[in-house]
Amino acid sequence: MTQQVVAGEVIRFDGVTKAYQTGAPPALTEVNMAVTGGEAVAVMGPSGSGKSTLLNLLTGLDRPSAGTVTVAGRRIDALSEGALARFRARHVGIIFQFFNLLDDLTVRDNVLLPAQLAGASRRRARERAEELLERMGIQQYRDTYPARLSGGQRQRVAIARALVNSPELLVADEPTGALDTATGQQITAVLRELSDRGQTLVLVTHDPAMAQRLATRTVQIVDGRMVGAGAAVPAPARATGRAGGDA
Amino acid sequence: MSWLAAIRTATGGIRRHTVQAVVLGTVLLISTASALLGLTLLAASNAPFQHAFEARHGADLTVTVNTTHATANQLAATRTLPGVTGAAGPFTEATVQVSFDGHSLGPRVLAGRASPGGPVDDVVLSEGHWPDGPGQLVLDAGPGGGPDYPGLGDTVTVSGTEATSTLVVTGFAISITKTADGWVTPAEATRLPVAGTVASAQLLYRFATAATDDQVHADATEIARALPAGAVVGTSSWLAREQAAAGNAALVQPFVVGFALLGLAMSVLVTGNMVAGAVVAQYHRIGILKSVGLSPAQVAVVYLSRIGWPSLAGSLAGVLAGNLLAVPVLHDSSGIYGIGRQQVPWWVSLAALAGMLVLTVLAAAGPALGAGRLSAVQAIAAGRAPTVGRGYAAHRLAARLRLPRPVGIGLAAPFARPARTLVTLASITVGATAVIFAVGLNLALSRVEQSQTLSATAPVRVQKTDPRAVPSAAQNAAVTAALDAQPGTLRDVAVYGGPQTVTVPGMSKAVTAHVFGGNASWLGYALINGRWYGSPGEVDANTAFLADSGLVVGDTTTVDLVGTGTAPTTVRIVGEVFDPSNNPSMFTGSQTLPGLTTPANLEGYDIALRPGTDTTAYLRSVNQALGGHGPWLAGPPQANRFFETATALVDLLALMVAVAAGLGVLNTVLMTTRDKVHDLGIFKALGMRPGQLLTMVVCQVAGPAIVAAAIAAPAAVALTTATVQAMGDAARTAVPTSFSHVLSPATLALLSLAPLAIAAAGALLPASWAAHVRPATALRAE
Repeated sequence: MTQQVVAGEVIRFDGVTKAYQTGAPPALTEVNMAVTGGEAVAVMGPSGSGKSTLLNLLTGLDRPSAGTVTVAGRRIDALSEGALARFRARHVGIIFQFFNLLDDLTVRDNVLLPAQLAGASRRRARERAEELLERMGIQQYRDTYPARLSGGQRQRVAIARALVNSPELLVADEPTGALDTATGQQITAVLRELSDRGQTLVLVTHDPAMAQRLATRTVQIVDGRMVGAGAAVPAPARATGRAGGDA
Repeated sequence: MSWLAAIRTATGGIRRHTVQAVVLGTVLLISTASALLGLTLLAASNAPFQHAFEARHGADLTVTVNTTHATANQLAATRTLPGVTGAAGPFTEATVQVSFDGHSLGPRVLAGRASPGGPVDDVVLSEGHWPDGPGQLVLDAGPGGGPDYPGLGDTVTVSGTEATSTLVVTGFAISITKTADGWVTPAEATRLPVAGTVASAQLLYRFATAATDDQVHADATEIARALPAGAVVGTSSWLAREQAAAGNAALVQPFVVGFALLGLAMSVLVTGNMVAGAVVAQYHRIGILKSVGLSPAQVAVVYLSRIGWPSLAGSLAGVLAGNLLAVPVLHDSSGIYGIGRQQVPWWVSLAALAGMLVLTVLAAAGPALGAGRLSAVQAIAAGRAPTVGRGYAAHRLAARLRLPRPVGIGLAAPFARPARTLVTLASITVGATAVIFAVGLNLALSRVEQSQTLSATAPVRVQKTDPRAVPSAAQNAAVTAALDAQPGTLRDVAVYGGPQTVTVPGMSKAVTAHVFGGNASWLGYALINGRWYGSPGEVDANTAFLADSGLVVGDTTTVDLVGTGTAPTTVRIVGEVFDPSNNPSMFTGSQTLPGLTTPANLEGYDIALRPGTDTTAYLRSVNQALGGHGPWLAGPPQANRFFETATALVDLLALMVAVAAGLGVLNTVLMTTRDKVHDLGIFKALGMRPGQLLTMVVCQVAGPAIVAAAIAAPAAVALTTATVQAMGDAARTAVPTSFSHVLSPATLALLSLAPLAIAAAGALLPASWAAHVRPATALRAE
């Protein structure tokens, strides 16, 4: 299959199909999609529609059965496991619904981990981690263990961890799904701020309101197929300024 | 939910958790096999001779008769004498010279028997077939052979016989009372005796009372009295054989029991850990079952089913595997004990199976009862993760160290599961101790063997083909000339003496003297204390000598040369030689006891070779020079099969314990890896590469392995020292320090890598699995 990466594109899916079992209906079928830098794309759809599969494929956590996935200019579907790991460490930050923090590491060590795995210098990694903890408003918890934090605080730690290597792409899988409404709104605001600063964001969510507040574009998936790709989100929520710059 | 439904739920669970069931079954297989082997070794080392003697109807007394002095009826009448409970024979007997491949095997007693079985001395055929035609020979398979011993199908030369000059070895057998060195057909036996010697036969008896030397002597007297005068030409008591067998058994018992206990400890550790871990890992599922309505009792049934079926299957397979593994082990041990054949007692299989199942139930009962008491929610929560807070400090410390992050996380991980870590530590420690112990024991045995055979210092020995022969001065001079003519000869020394050649006042037994015709310090006899003699009037003695005489190194005594009529010689004991024997021996130079350096007392020559000399070519050359038919024959020192077999047994046992230890590590790492599979997904999602992940998982056992090395090295040294001392005690001899302190610091440092190797070998499989698991799959895992 041929592929053509357009300048400014951070993600490109070309004819991507993912089947988990031979003979069973694919989780994703012939998906074509492109996301340009700075976009905030919400992937929406009912349970079992293939949203998480799409997220796994674009972060290199899984491989497609067919088609190509290009992220940050690299075809990741053909990379080895080691190269994929390096790719994730440098180019992608992932925020999970249930935070996926490591319980036996402190907040700071959780945030530092991707930088250490990527081989960042100790001093620079610590500086970056401190900066992010402060930006997320959780610097006072740097020596605390995740189990002692609230859900909102844990998700802020997870966001800081996802950003520590300044990834080109930030992927969030139901980031408010495990939070109460108020906390969810706070996390949405944090993500919105990141997006406003120019961070490319792919968001998987059930929540239309969140998509409306965050996304510049919404992608609908139903039964593994994309529906209405590229549909613009009504403007009001995205009306205010985008600062750009680093995330 | 009905009871039946609960069990159906459990069975379904096993099918869905095949990996865990397979791992549990495999661990039980290994543990049961290990326990079975341990128990088998303990049983095998418990009075092996006595058990084999009863099973094989060993002969209490072997009587050699001159058949020209007694008729067949007179011999048959002895079977019904009072006190005789069993008899066999007469079997024609001949003492012949046997040689193989140019090496003399010395004089051998061959008996003519139509079959190995019988009411007395049921001979065990261990290999090949019983002679069923002319020219066939079954040789004794007991200890004492060596690398130059003929093998199955080899042809040996029987020299000095009337008719047959060669015999083909068709088998190997063991007589528990060693009534002969080999067996031929009765017809063959009649052709073997040399012309002019008495026609002899052996009769084998069992008596109602033959427990002591006095009783056996009384029995022998009764037999002799029933036969014409001069008919009985020799007798052999089972007690002498028992003493020799007991010596070997006592020697190996310390390390066999040591390994058996290590194997048992390992099986208990691994099984307990695995089963308890498997139960705890199922807490989450238990919680779910309780939440859908299962009663605590039903949960217990589900649990025991989930644990029980794989355990039962594994244990049964373990009994089978243990019985198969026991075959080579028992082959070795029975060779050492000289009892032909040993089998796994039926009760050992039963005990190993029952013991492992009981252990499984006990290990499962605690966590299962705990799970039964928990609420559904608590059980679900408890099944997810280790206790919060454990290992945090270690992780914090590791984060501060300037170590690669995967290394730091791996090193800190064991602190999250201290109980499991302790079991891992114990497994590695036991396995590593076994490996280092085995190396130490092999080194010690090798040094003992070298001190006994002098094979390292005197690889060639010239000996008489017939010990009773008295070569002429010219024949002796020919030996010296032949040795001097060989460019490979570095040095040689004549050895005089023999058993019961010297008496010492106050000693109950006559002394075996070894008198050297020149400098013999290079032979390298091992000294327990003191030094090798250097001046006229100085002697060395073995432990039996010192024990019998009550003398110590530094004392002076007098020695009498038996039958020489010379005046007693005053000697000073300057050293204690390692010569494990009940017979007292002394070692000295010809200047001290010149009366013994006669042609009649010349036993042979010990020869050292120049570096690079081919021993086989040297032997061929010397024997050619000696003419081949003279009284002297050059050969290698007679090896002792005991050491060969004991070393093989040590290696086999150490390998088994080390493999069990590796599996123990694999088991714990596998459990930990599966527990933390979700975390592995997180690590991968955050960019941890497969190599980093592999490093992290292997580092989880590196810490325990380092601690294990620190424990195992000194433990193995202590165990080696204690075992060698115990073996020395069994042989009634002190042991030179150089035999018990065989592990140098450099060797020990190298061997300390054994725990790391065992840990890495055990961890590698689960680590590889972890490194290659798809992150998306791992993240989906609970």
